[in-house]
Amino acid sequence: MNFDINTIVYILEIIVGGLLVGIGVHFVPVGGAPAAMAQAAGIGTGTVQLAAGSGLTGLLAAGLMMSVTDNLWLILASGAVGAGIMMGSTMLTGSWIYAYAVGAPFASAKVNYDPITGFSQPPYVAPGTVGQGIPTVCFTSGLIGGMMGGLGGAMIYYPLYLINGNAALSAMFAIGIFLVNAVIASWNIQGTIEGFHDPKFKKWPFAFKACAIASILLALASVMITGGA
Amino acid sequence: MDAFSMGLIAAMGALATVAGASEDIESDIGSQSNPNSQVQLAAQVGNPHRIYNKAISGEPPANALWAATAAIVAYTLITAFQMSALLALVAGASVAALFNGVLSMSAYFGRNSSQKRFNQWVYLDIVRYTTPSIMAHAWITSFCIATISYIMVYMLPTPHPFPMAIIALIWGLAVGAIGSSVGDIHYGGEREFQNRQFGCGLNTMLSGQIVRKAEAGLRNSIDNAWFCTKFGGPATGMGFGLTVFLDNWRTTVFDPVTQAPFAIAMGLFFIIVMVIYNNYIEKSTRKKYGPYPEYKGDIAA
Repeated sequence: MNFDINTIVYILEIIVGGLLVGIGVHFVPVGGAPAAMAQAAGIGTGTVQLAAGSGLTGLLAAGLMMSVTDNLWLILASGAVGAGIMMGSTMLTGSWIYAYAVGAPFASAKVNYDPITGFSQPPYVAPGTVGQGIPTVCFTSGLIGGMMGGLGGAMIYYPLYLINGNAALSAMFAIGIFLVNAVIASWNIQGTIEGFHDPKFKKWPFAFKACAIASILLALASVMITGGA
Repeated sequence: MDAFSMGLIAAMGALATVAGASEDIESDIGSQSNPNSQVQLAAQVGNPHRIYNKAISGEPPANALWAATAAIVAYTLITAFQMSALLALVAGASVAALFNGVLSMSAYFGRNSSQKRFNQWVYLDIVRYTTPSIMAHAWITSFCIATISYIMVYMLPTPHPFPMAIIALIWGLAVGAIGSSVGDIHYGGEREFQNRQFGCGLNTMLSGQIVRKAEAGLRNSIDNAWFCTKFGGPATGMGFGLTVFLDNWRTTVFDPVTQAPFAIAMGLFFIIVMVIYNNYIEKSTRKKYGPYPEYKGDIAA
C-alpha cells in the first residue's frame, strides 16, 4: 500500500465513525434486564445488542446506497435513516407491550418533568420501581442514538470500501469496529441509561477518549488491508 | 418500481413478520435473554421450578449465529452443488436448528446442574419435549431470514452488494435485538409475575418470586409459549416486519440511483410518524390509568 493524503483522510473518517458509534450508544435508552420486567424506564435489552441491531441495519441501507452511488452524503443519510427506522419500530412495538400488556403508564424516574413534553413523572412511577415504559424524551433520545450509530457505521464502511473495493470484507470490518466502540461505551454507562437527560450521560467524555484510542488502532489496522477475501 | 419487485418486498415483510414472531416464541420457550435473570434467580431464592433455562448468550448473537449458519449452508449448496434455492434454504435452516438444539440442551444441563445446591433438578422430560419445540421455532426463524437474504441478493432489481451470509448475520442480530426489546417484556413483565398486582412494573421486593404453578399442575415453558403467542410474539413480528418492509419499501418505490433523496425523506417521514404515535400512546395511558395512588410527593400529576 502507499501511504498518502487519502489514507489519512480514510483513517480520520473511520475514527469519526467510531466516535459517533461510541457517543450514539449513550443516547440509546436501555434498561437491561430490569426494563424487561418493567422495573426501569427504557428498552428491555442490552446496550450493545440494541445499538448493533440498529446500527447494522443502517449499514445494510448504506451498503445498498453505496453500490449505486459514490455521493458520501447520500450514503451517510441512508445509513442514519435505516438505523432510525429499526430503532423507531422497536421502541414503538415495545411501547405497545408496556401500554397494553403490562398496563403501565410511561414514566422516567431520573427527571421530575419530561424535558420535551413537560409531563410530570414521579406520580406515574410505580412503587418499588425506577420508572417504566418509553416516555417521549427516551424515544427521541433513542432515535438520535440509533441514527448516530447508523451514521457511524456508514462512515466506517465508506472509506473501507474505497480502499479494498470488497463489500463483504468492508462490512465485516465495519461490524467489528462498530462492536468494539459500542462495548467500550456500554462499560462507561454500566449497562443501563435512560437517554440524554440521565445524569450518567455526563460521563460521555470518558467514552470519547477510550473510543478515540480504540478507533485509531482499529483504523490503522484496517486501512492496511487492501484486498484478499 | 414494478409489480414483481413490489411483490418481493411484500413477501420479505411477511417473512420478517413470521421470523420475528417465531424468534420471540423460541426465546420464551427456552427462556433466553433478560427475563431469564429471574428464572435463574428463582432457584437461588428458594423457588426451584420446571422452566427451561438456556440463556447462554443474548438473543442477538444467538440468532445471528443461526441465521448466518442457515445462509452459509444454503449458499454453499446453491453455488457448489447447483441445488434449487428452496431446498437449499430448507437444508440450511435444518442445520441451524440442529446447532440450536445442541446449544439449548447443553445450556439446560449446565445451568440446572450448577444449581444443585439450591435444590434445582434436571428434568429429563422437560428436555425431551421442550427442546424439539425450541428447535422448530429456530428453524422457522432461520429459514425466513435466510430467504430474506436470498431475495435481497439474488432477486431484487437493485441487488445488495453484501454476500448472503453477512446479510443474514445482520438481520439475525436485528431480529434478536427486537425480540429481546419487545417480546421479552410480555414474558418478563407479565407472564413470569402474574401473582403481583396488575398495572405496574415488578416491585424489586418480588425479584425471583416467579409463578411456578399452571392452570393445571406445575407450569413449564410450553405454558409460557401459549401465553406469549397471544401478544408478545405478534408484536415482535410486527416490529421486525416494519423494519424490513419500511427499509426496503422506500428504496424500491424510489429508485436509489435517480431518486435517492426521496427515499431518505420517506424514511425520515416514517420516523416522525413513529414519534407522534408513541407520544399518543404515552398520553392515552396517562389519561386511562392515572397516577399511582401510593404516590406521596408534591409534584402534581
